[in-house]
Amino acid sequence: MYQYNVFDQRFVEERVEQYRDQTTRFLAGELAEDQFQQLRLRNGLYIQRLAPMLRIAVPYGMLTATQLRALAAIARDFDKGYGHLSTRQNMQINWPELEAVPDILARLAEVQMHCIQTSGSCIRNITTDQFAGVAADEVVDARPYCEIIRQWSTYHPEFDWLPRKFKIAVNGAGTDRAATHVHDIGIQVRLGEDGTPRFDFLVGGGLGRTPVVGKSIREGLAEKDLLTYLEAILRVYNRYGRRDNKYKARIKILVRALTPEKFRELVDAEWEHLRDGPTQLPATEVARIRDHFKAPPYEKLPGEGALLASERLRNPAFNAWMRHNVAPHRQSGYAIVTLSTKATGVPPGDIADEQMDAVASWSERFGFGEIRISHEQNLVLPDVRQRDLRTLFDLACAEMLGQANAGLLTDVVCCPGGDFCALANAKSIPIAEAIQRRFDDYDYLHDLGPIDLNISGCMNACGHHHVGHIGILGVDKRGEEFYQVSIGGNQADDASLGRILGPAFSRAEIPTVIERILDVYVEQRTDGEIFLDTVRRIGVEPFKLRIYSTNDPVRVRSSRPKTVATRLPSASPPANRFEKTARAG
Amino acid sequence: MLVKAPRSRLGHFETPVAVPDNWTLAEDGPARPGLIAPLRAWLESPDGAGVWLEGDAEIEEVASQIVRAPVIAVRFPVFADGRGLSLGKLLRTRYGYAGELRAFGEIVPDLTEYMHRCGFDAFVLADRRQAQVAIACIQRMSDHYQGSFPQPLPPYRRVAERL
Repeated sequence: MYQYNVFDQRFVEERVEQYRDQTTRFLAGELAEDQFQQLRLRNGLYIQRLAPMLRIAVPYGMLTATQLRALAAIARDFDKGYGHLSTRQNMQINWPELEAVPDILARLAEVQMHCIQTSGSCIRNITTDQFAGVAADEVVDARPYCEIIRQWSTYHPEFDWLPRKFKIAVNGAGTDRAATHVHDIGIQVRLGEDGTPRFDFLVGGGLGRTPVVGKSIREGLAEKDLLTYLEAILRVYNRYGRRDNKYKARIKILVRALTPEKFRELVDAEWEHLRDGPTQLPATEVARIRDHFKAPPYEKLPGEGALLASERLRNPAFNAWMRHNVAPHRQSGYAIVTLSTKATGVPPGDIADEQMDAVASWSERFGFGEIRISHEQNLVLPDVRQRDLRTLFDLACAEMLGQANAGLLTDVVCCPGGDFCALANAKSIPIAEAIQRRFDDYDYLHDLGPIDLNISGCMNACGHHHVGHIGILGVDKRGEEFYQVSIGGNQADDASLGRILGPAFSRAEIPTVIERILDVYVEQRTDGEIFLDTVRRIGVEPFKLRIYSTNDPVRVRSSRPKTVATRLPSASPPANRFEKTARAG
Repeated sequence: MLVKAPRSRLGHFETPVAVPDNWTLAEDGPARPGLIAPLRAWLESPDGAGVWLEGDAEIEEVASQIVRAPVIAVRFPVFADGRGLSLGKLLRTRYGYAGELRAFGEIVPDLTEYMHRCGFDAFVLADRRQAQVAIACIQRMSDHYQGSFPQPLPPYRRVAERL
């Protein structure tokens, strides 16, 4: 885990004071609204539908127990006692007071955290595989490179005022768990034939209004060239990306307009000037950063296969959790645990302060005090001794973090949607909940196998609906909320974008639509074939026929769908899910 | 109100100061001494005149000529348009421009710091108060993760070379 040195610490502290001054000038009327907006966005502060939202950077999703406790305390002191895990591995809190944000930033700086560049037209949080450094299938640990890119991109003199937001993901495992194909820049790190790390670059991928899979522009780049090559790409984008229309300003539009070949030529020509320049990355610096990511002092432990097998036989719930939420670790006797936030009735990705405190203490008791946030909006404990898995499972269940649904239909990825977000066309959280309620039978879910269900409340696609095996997009039709359904998207190595099935449905119809899609899958699948593969094999027609059947149209079931819960802002301020911590005012 | 952050002989920038502006912006040609004129007009009669660049200027084509201008003024049409930052960086680092590089247009004081790090050493602010804020902004952060025009080496290169 990267630890700040004197330089890093001074930097974030000065940045806090800089922002405090900006806030003061705004409140004194010295900074215009649109000017302050851009400055606050670069410190993670949005003004949302109901109140501000502050997005806290969690670089490549890594946290210490101390940091997670600090987030819990901030959620308690400045929010209503919970935070929201975003699809960029960050944490968001709602309802902070604009005036209090400098103090929140100061609290974050005390634990080596910040909100720098979590929004605005700049380089955003660098994301990676949530299992980086511990995954059994890892080739190169991507985290040191993420940290190097984080430092390079932080408050960059030239690239903080880009045409549009810019997202970079790095993956170093055999499986792409970082969705590198749908990023502005996706970097795959591998080992070259000479045994040194090599970097393959995809550019121009992205979701949003115009979903595109990234194009390969460079393979086998050497480590020392990592930053100069990034500099070349960003300079071409900064100079030539469109600034006249924000919907055409992402790099994917530039790459398409120029063609990937021409774009590559421009980047290469720029890079020739830069590659031997001062930004070249020395091996000493990589070594310094890599030192921070050394393996923790693992015990020499035997695998606990026999013990776990008997526990699994005795307890079907534990068995299910082991199957879906526990991943193989590179170290014998350890396991990687995904703590699912996707309990029915809780907005996906929401986590209460007590849950954060609990997870922080489990990370110390069962591991080395480290936690990850996954882009699927779950928490991960990366180093759990296998012999402790059963104990951890029981504790997790008591905190509503033991759902055995990682990667299943009910592990819904979902943006905050119209309940919170000023951009949304439609609510997304109630859709997630309605689906979770309809499909609450574990045996059925387990039988369905892995299905990524992604929901976005508008075409900005924060819920990544294009790459969901099933994607749901909220649309506005004459002031009413409707939902468009697509299938066949995928975020992993063989990335693909989902195909829209047809006209949109009302919110109440969606669970039945999903049920019919799943019925077609169950009828048509071959032995062991997962949902995505069935869709790819049989195409979308059989699904269309079923959901738009003329002799049996989808109708709203008689029982009224339940609306979500306690925490959504409505006429009265929402109460905390755990009433005891609700604050007055 | 013009703020200048001139470079001393040692290569370090001195404290920025507000100074009188001896140059006049001319939206149309012809260019003549004391005027900052649009690129096309400047190319016709460059002697003694400053050159005005827009963010989309293809400076590669004219770099060898414009680096002789006493002033290059880059217009930021809206404050959040970062193209001028790349132009400044290129003029200083690739084309060796040594004259005054000024930013004008919609200049928010907070952004002068970015401009300064990209090689700008003169900033046209709306009024005296904005100029004061800009002077403070330029000096606020003591160091950065990247190299810049005042300090070309990023911290990791500085440490490495000290060792």
